[in-house]
Amino acid sequence: MSNKPSSKPQASAKVRAASGAGRSSSLWLWLGIVAVILVVGVVAVVVGRSSSSGSSSGGSSSPSGGTVVPNGSLQYGSLDVSGTALAQAPETAGATDPAVGQTLPTIDGQTFDTSRITIGPDGKPQVVMVVAHWCPHCNAEVPKIQQWLDDNGMPADVGLVTLATANDPTRVNFPAGDWLRQKGWSVPTLLDDKSNAGAKALGVGGYPTFIVVGADGKVVFRTSGEITIPQWEQLLQAARTGTAPTA
Amino acid sequence: MRDLLPIATLSVFFAVLALLCWVIAIALVVGALVRRSQHGRPGRLEPLRDDIGRAALTLAWLVAVVTTLGSLYYSKVQEFVPCELCWYQRICVYPFAVILGIAAWRRDAAIRVYAVPMFAIGIVIATYHTWIQAFPPDNGTSFCTAAAPCTTRYVWEFGFVSLPFMALSAFVVMTVLLLVARPAPRRSAPQENQ
Repeated sequence: MSNKPSSKPQASAKVRAASGAGRSSSLWLWLGIVAVILVVGVVAVVVGRSSSSGSSSGGSSSPSGGTVVPNGSLQYGSLDVSGTALAQAPETAGATDPAVGQTLPTIDGQTFDTSRITIGPDGKPQVVMVVAHWCPHCNAEVPKIQQWLDDNGMPADVGLVTLATANDPTRVNFPAGDWLRQKGWSVPTLLDDKSNAGAKALGVGGYPTFIVVGADGKVVFRTSGEITIPQWEQLLQAARTGTAPTA
Repeated sequence: MRDLLPIATLSVFFAVLALLCWVIAIALVVGALVRRSQHGRPGRLEPLRDDIGRAALTLAWLVAVVTTLGSLYYSKVQEFVPCELCWYQRICVYPFAVILGIAAWRRDAAIRVYAVPMFAIGIVIATYHTWIQAFPPDNGTSFCTAAAPCTTRYVWEFGFVSLPFMALSAFVVMTVLLLVARPAPRRSAPQENQ
């Protein structure tokens, strides 16, 4: 059968369907398609909204729900630190943390897919979480907090960011990107370099470490070790109010 | 721009469209089989078949356009870095956002001779890519680089819809649509003068 393109598009014998052309119309088909697309659009808006907004905290455009943040397999990041490093965390629990009141340094680095990401003062309260892929407490903490994020959405008023440090190819769950992808970790994560310059700039003493930063970019509170969900919620509250949790 | 086009919403939208592609493709194949079983006797399916045959080229073109725009959205708005496999799939679909438009305008169903082999290549690559995103190999793949890892699930809707799965859906439905496309005359003079 001849179906070669022709400058005269329709030679009479060419088109079997031509006999029905006058009678039937594809209009219903197009209307149907437009209707279906509209329905899909509405569904997407509804589903998208519900998956990206928390009950109390309002929406944010951060990926959540079914869409996982970019996670490559970069093993070490390269980064630049500017500003003054936070004081080293005190060894003894309960001691006064000299970093409180210091301004968070700015760490300009990469996430697992090499795209740029920055940890630093951004005019918004935030919680910086420092994790190591091999640390059992981090391994327990990450899914716990992810579950909270799945249930409550990313807080709109408190920024969350992770530093993945102490990357070590001889230990479990290396590289950290694969580990966090398995955990479905939706918090943007900066990958430390081989010398752990990021963790040093934050004065990290153990994993996981949480650094609560106020809207003014100054450290409100710092804690290390696994925390419970009520404690996590206290950290978010501390970031909002700029006051360290009392308990 | 990112706030205007939230990824959660658009990913669900594209994911549902991808599933819709499969519904359409399967319905068309089943319809064709049923029709064949009637041995060419004119049945009730004929008017429907004519409508679909006429609309198929335009539909395939729309799929190519939406796929292209979706791909550009993820790389230019969300700044996801396309991996090597993504690029091969892009090569197989981007040109058809234009070519199928011209073919639809000219009602030239013979475009399938050129397009279907490209889509077949796309189907092979997208199938492989979908597979390794669903089941990442432990030791990586020769295509993956740290800068643009191809096993990264930038999108993972409903527990299985990834970006390569969307590409696969588009390739499959475009292939089926081109195979059922029939040239049809412009129906009236005014349309001819557009």
